[in-house]
Amino acid sequence: MPPSSLDDASFAVHSTESSSAQASRIQVEVMELFDEFRDRLLRYSLSLGLSIQDAEEVIQEVFLALFRHLHLGRSRKNLRGWLFRVTHNLALKQRLANQTFVQRTAGDARVAEEHADPAPGPEEQMSAAQRHDHLQAVVRALPENDQHCLRLRAEGLRYREIATALGMSLGAVSISLTRSLARLARADGR
Amino acid sequence: MVPKDLHLSMHHIPEGELVRSADGELSPQRAREVGSHLEACWDCRARMEEIHSTITGFVRAHHAEFDPQLPPVAGPRALLRARLTELDSELRTHWWKGVFQFGFPLPRVAIVCLVAMAIGSLGLGYYSRRNLRFTSGLLDSQAAPNRSLTPGATRPVTVTEICSVPHEEVVEDVSVPMRQMVLREYGISNARPEDYEIDYLIAPHLGGTEDIRNLWPEPYRTRVWNAHVKDALEERLHQMVCSGKLDLLTAQHDIATDWIAAYKKYFHTNKPLPRSS
Repeated sequence: MPPSSLDDASFAVHSTESSSAQASRIQVEVMELFDEFRDRLLRYSLSLGLSIQDAEEVIQEVFLALFRHLHLGRSRKNLRGWLFRVTHNLALKQRLANQTFVQRTAGDARVAEEHADPAPGPEEQMSAAQRHDHLQAVVRALPENDQHCLRLRAEGLRYREIATALGMSLGAVSISLTRSLARLARADGR
Repeated sequence: MVPKDLHLSMHHIPEGELVRSADGELSPQRAREVGSHLEACWDCRARMEEIHSTITGFVRAHHAEFDPQLPPVAGPRALLRARLTELDSELRTHWWKGVFQFGFPLPRVAIVCLVAMAIGSLGLGYYSRRNLRFTSGLLDSQAAPNRSLTPGATRPVTVTEICSVPHEEVVEDVSVPMRQMVLREYGISNARPEDYEIDYLIAPHLGGTEDIRNLWPEPYRTRVWNAHVKDALEERLHQMVCSGKLDLLTAQHDIATDWIAAYKKYFHTNKPLPRSS
């Protein structure tokens, strides 16, 4: 991403331009942000337990909301955090509507239990794929908010942006990430 | 080896601070101090490497889990572009409505008078042509149902059931009393039969039911997104559901939420395909 694309200055509204020119400019901005963030937001939505179809639809809604947001001249500050926050909220709403999460987490918890505190011997023998499976299971066994912090950090958000997206304090984000990484390291046999 | 006095004077860096250092979240001053400490302290450096290794492992696992599921971006991108264009058009329409609803400086009575005078001065012939265009525009605006009146309704049905009967045998004409109820609900009781098909929002062969919540007057004469286009979508979704490429609930959800968007999504196009295709 060119850093300037999220810079306040680059989004300065040109008050002299016509409404149609402004709308076109906003459309271009939204499409640029879509190109840049679609995969990250989609991954994050999937990590919240949505099907790919629902996740795609959520992402579409997020960028339509972004268009409305910019069209109304609302704040352009920290749009990256804004995108993840809206994705987070819409994805959770969708998940609630689907009511599939209970089954998923129940299944994941069982898998995680099987992997908890593994003996060091076999761990050393694990292939990369096995290690991925193992880490994924451990992540799913983390408290939900810790998972969100970890996933958002993996998608490139800074602590302040994660705090904004999840409505947490900066310190809570830091503690959550430290706790999660320590747990992952232990589970990884380190 | 670290001299004893220096070793005693060094406090190992807390785990949280190491993580924040790895993430570039320390203040510049503290980052420098931690950097100096790491140069001198092998213990903390080893812990730092473990943190990096854990992060690397997690990021790889995160991508390995989700990246294979990510579809190509081209289709969703085209769909978003089309939706943005529609949304832009809607927002403009609402702006004009706002002129009348929220107190434009010119009093409403004056606006009405001006419009009446303008119509009177332009004569009947012009009015007729204008009215024709207006009707056409109205029909276009009805390409999608009013969601508060027609949210969609389904019956309990399995995929096996809907796929065991050919599509043509499932579709039934809506009864006359129901047709009149739907037209009344939409405020067009006097509509000519040739102008509208009383259509199922969720088609019967996708589990839709003859319920007023699932029926709406769909114009035949809409220039772009008309009843024929929706029929093609219904057939497409039915095929996809029966071939196992799409689950029934998603098909019902997508067609009920926004059938035009569903058409774009499942035909990978921004405009209706020619009927022969």
